[in-house]
Amino acid sequence: MAEPTSDAELIARARTGDDHAFGVLVQRYEGAVAATVIGMLGRGDDADDVGQETFIRFHRALDRFRGESSLKTYLTHIAMNLSLNTLKRRRRSLLRFVSRDEHDVDLPEPRVGPDGEVDANELQMLVRAAVARLGEKHRAVVVLRLFQDCSTRETAEILGVPEGTVLSRLSRAMKELEARLEPYVRYGRALPESIT
Amino acid sequence: MTEQPTDDPLAAVVRAAAPTSFDDGFGDRVLSRLGTRSDQAFTSALNRQFRLVVPLAAAAAVILAAFNWWGARGTAASPFDAALNLPQVTLSSAYSVTSLYGVAVPTETP
Repeated sequence: MAEPTSDAELIARARTGDDHAFGVLVQRYEGAVAATVIGMLGRGDDADDVGQETFIRFHRALDRFRGESSLKTYLTHIAMNLSLNTLKRRRRSLLRFVSRDEHDVDLPEPRVGPDGEVDANELQMLVRAAVARLGEKHRAVVVLRLFQDCSTRETAEILGVPEGTVLSRLSRAMKELEARLEPYVRYGRALPESIT
Repeated sequence: MTEQPTDDPLAAVVRAAAPTSFDDGFGDRVLSRLGTRSDQAFTSALNRQFRLVVPLAAAAAVILAAFNWWGARGTAASPFDAALNLPQVTLSSAYSVTSLYGVAVPTETP
């Protein structure tokens, strides 16, 4: 059964130390945080840690949260900042010597069904892999605008860039995705049902 | 400012590929980390208080010992006794009525 309680009420209860109320908020916004963090970092321990840290930072800031933006936007903002910090740390670490561009230029070859269509799950994996291969700035815009359905203005606010920059980055990112996914996605034709 | 066209087929495919959750038990992991953090916060608060109180208590003990030593330096059996302001105790004084009952009992006279 869906939790009928409003965010404001849950936040008020969480402020008094009600862990159950905070747990409901975590459950409610796990998807939004996961879309941002996994979209930026890929699935794994790093992403899980950043996801947890996002909610812990929110818990610490409960008293300061005034509700001026929606909780989803607020959490997305924290999640994006933490993800970008993690990417910076990764770059600084030894892993920077193993550039993803050097060995991950091509997308993994998907399994194709007898009808010539790429399986829906395979297509999802392909798309995620293609998004992961975008540059950090372009990926952030795709994650916020498409994974999170943020508006251009929200995206600009979260990333601290002008709206025009968001639009141009999204446009370039979409072109890059189109080029990468072209062999697997036939635009203008019916997509697998679970995707549309 | 126009919104970017996000209703084209490619946008739909990308939108559908958004991750929707972390691995199972994510909520429990968050709450468990919060619990650990509040335990750590309590421990560090105790440590902070302890670090504040210990120097003050040590300073007060040194001042008291110096005060005692100064007052009893001529009469105490040792500087240690003087610092702790220990009275001189002999076997007979230990068994005296005054020390046993705290009051002087008058001697009966016929």
